[in-house]
Amino acid sequence: MNKQSNTYTIVYITILVIVVGTALAWVATALKPEQSRNANADKMKQILSSVHAPLGDNKQITDLFEKNITGIVINQNGDIQQNEDAFDINVANQIKLNADERKLPVYIYNDDNVGKKYIIPLYGQGLWGSIWGYLALNSDGSTIYGAYFSHQGETPGLGAEIEKSEFQKRFDGKQLFKDSQFRPITVVKAGQHPAGDEDYVDGISGGTITSKGVASMLKNGLLPYKQFLQNLSNN
Amino acid sequence: MENLNLFIRSIFIDNMIFAYFLGMCSFLAVSKNVKTALGLGIAVTFMLVITLPINYLLETYILKAGALAWLGEEYANIDISFLSLIMFIAVIASMTQLVEMAVEKYSPSLYASLGIFLPLIAVNCAILGGSLFMQQRDFGSVWTAICAGGGWVLGWLLAIVAIAAIRERVTSYSNVPKPLRGIGITFIITALMGIAFMSFLGIKF
Amino acid sequence: MAEKVSNKKVLFNPLSKDNPVIVQILGICSALAVTAKLEPAIVMGLSVIAVLALANVILSLIRNTIPTNIRIIVQLVVVAGLVVIVNQLLLAYAYNVSKQLSVFIGLIITNCILMGRLEAFAMSNKPWPSFLDGIGNGLGYTIILIIVAFFRELLGCGTLLGIQVIPECFYQHGYQNNGLMILPPMALIVVACIIWVQHSFNKDLQE
Repeated sequence: MNKQSNTYTIVYITILVIVVGTALAWVATALKPEQSRNANADKMKQILSSVHAPLGDNKQITDLFEKNITGIVINQNGDIQQNEDAFDINVANQIKLNADERKLPVYIYNDDNVGKKYIIPLYGQGLWGSIWGYLALNSDGSTIYGAYFSHQGETPGLGAEIEKSEFQKRFDGKQLFKDSQFRPITVVKAGQHPAGDEDYVDGISGGTITSKGVASMLKNGLLPYKQFLQNLSNN
Repeated sequence: MENLNLFIRSIFIDNMIFAYFLGMCSFLAVSKNVKTALGLGIAVTFMLVITLPINYLLETYILKAGALAWLGEEYANIDISFLSLIMFIAVIASMTQLVEMAVEKYSPSLYASLGIFLPLIAVNCAILGGSLFMQQRDFGSVWTAICAGGGWVLGWLLAIVAIAAIRERVTSYSNVPKPLRGIGITFIITALMGIAFMSFLGIKF
Repeated sequence: MAEKVSNKKVLFNPLSKDNPVIVQILGICSALAVTAKLEPAIVMGLSVIAVLALANVILSLIRNTIPTNIRIIVQLVVVAGLVVIVNQLLLAYAYNVSKQLSVFIGLIITNCILMGRLEAFAMSNKPWPSFLDGIGNGLGYTIILIIVAFFRELLGCGTLLGIQVIPECFYQHGYQNNGLMILPPMALIVVACIIWVQHSFNKDLQE
């Protein structure tokens, strides 16, 4: 057979593509359940980290999450949306929509020892890529109970420090409301103060742009929840 | 404005060579003198600017989870994102072949100067890297993708031409320790340039 | 007997004298960015060994059927297929590492070691030597990654594989982690140092 002919080439590449395509499709389908289990467990782990819950392996995390956390979805006015699953909502996509179209997930953590906590997911941009986090609030809708941040590829040792508990601990106990005015917490350069009277934490030295990213993520991420949090603090 | 910022950023901060080391292989192979470096740089620029938008459209309308929704409701749940790698490389490889043929036919003089670099490009990490970063960052529109791609590739061009120029001088005028000659000293030069480029961190309009 | 010796050479030469990274200058692209920590470097190395060995065997098996004018595309398709499989496996069984490696697993496709070895060796050799060649070159690549990552993580973070190895009392006496080591350019400097040492011992490699 002439190996240089066009027919041979076309038949050859067709067979190759079919073989490779089938193999890939099979592998992808076979591994899909395990992959989505991992991805879900990872998300649950991050949410649970924000309320300082004890973490274990994937199974323990999933159990703990399903036992203690319920999700609700609200809109900008603080009304609960029915027929939506908070866990399935991709915050990164919602942030691109107009504020009044966004679906806003809230996770409610119920634990007999520490009481009810409201967890708000956040998403923003750091220096190199996206950053995200979860902010857990007490049932007064103002006091921060815990925070969790993570990132895609911030500079190790500098911006990447936002995922360390030393940074995240700085948020504990801070307030989102000042004299019943909504003043979302911000991040400033160590030693400086914000212009307004809002609560603040020190940023990471050497990680200025990432710290600024966290600050604007908090501001943009919390603002749509204003009404919801206001309702909480009024109750 | 945002796109302009992204463009500048992609040239200086997210520099393909100094921040991600992408496209180093072909870069080390040709950066011995400025002229060949420029030739390769232009060829890579050309290919990246063509392939990135194509891959962006493929990703947004075909490959991404739920991207097939425009075909109808029943297609909305299809997720063939596992094919994205193979699609990207197929686009790059076939575009390289096509461009090579087209350039050869319509502009023999351009082919004579770029021709030898074109086959190298299919396996240039900077081009596939561009597509993969595009996928990871989830750009909002095709224009954003083009701006970022243009920036990355100009940064790459800048880097290889600058280093080729330094290398030309170093090999002819400097007394480099013997074991470091050639590749070793090039690595060190690239590293120092990388550190210098870090001072661009945070520039913005 | 003669073949055995050559097989051994095929396997062990790439570890030092014919090392793909520091002598043949291949595959630096996707490599250095993952060497800030030891763990991703090891996983990356293992992935490259697996892909390289398998791709070498597959292409060596079908080498006589490939039409020459689409040679490169066939190689790319096979390699890309293998890389996707590795990527899917990592997502399923090593999720955290795969998150750290992000796009760099995909970039194995354009790792010049792969195309270089496929063209130079697998297209003209039998499957078994090709397999050994793949393992050998993969190992040579992994060794460099591990050395670089070892120094960067040790000096940059004071840890190895995430475990603190520099004792706390060092820090109390004023020792500081060298933050520069984790920044990208230092990977190049460390590789340059490895090249320096290796070329000093192998005089015939010097230019």
